[in-house]
Amino acid sequence: MIRVLFFGPIAAATGEREVSVAHVPGLTLGSLKEMLAAQYPEATHLATMMAVNGEHVRDMSLALADNSEVAFMAKFSGG
Amino acid sequence: MKEAVRIQQEDFSQDEEIRALQTSSKRMGGIATFLGCARDFSEGREVSEISFDAYGSMALSELNRLRSDAIEKYALLDARIVHRVGTVKGGENIVFIAAGAEHRVAALEACRWMIDELKQRVPIWKKEFTPQGESWVTPHP
Repeated sequence: MIRVLFFGPIAAATGEREVSVAHVPGLTLGSLKEMLAAQYPEATHLATMMAVNGEHVRDMSLALADNSEVAFMAKFSGG
Repeated sequence: MKEAVRIQQEDFSQDEEIRALQTSSKRMGGIATFLGCARDFSEGREVSEISFDAYGSMALSELNRLRSDAIEKYALLDARIVHRVGTVKGGENIVFIAAGAEHRVAALEACRWMIDELKQRVPIWKKEFTPQGESWVTPHP
């Protein structure tokens, strides 16, 4: 399973803070984003940054291991 | 002593943070601080309160990395960062950054660098509550 996390404006737009997606061999960050685009278009629209297991990731071809934690993140506004 | 980097709901004491910084080294000749507060207005609207959401584990690890990077980049003797989450009312404290160095220039530059980097790197989101409703904040450049 891939644990997908939504925060702040993305959580508000999707009405969810966390969803689970079945892991399949060869699943990449980009393909996960595409998969979720149909169900959560707001999440993919607002997500200008992604994190995998708590680390910023820009490479959408990154292969996701099973049990990864993926965060869809809108532009930060802390401070 | 409290951790040098924290994310917490409750308010913090600037005096306590500065005292903690000072106890880390007697070579410290300059301490620069930044205090971010909640404004009661934004883009022409009254703001009654702000709430912060965070990706807690990642935000804490990014703040710790930010502190380490600042210590290395500016040869600081120590640094502290505290950021609040949850609800903060107008006029209340949001974030505190303190940088201690042998001389003032490094402390001042590091403090400015840390708050600028925090806004870019740390997964925290701000929502403002106004009489017209609530809205997530779009960051300023």
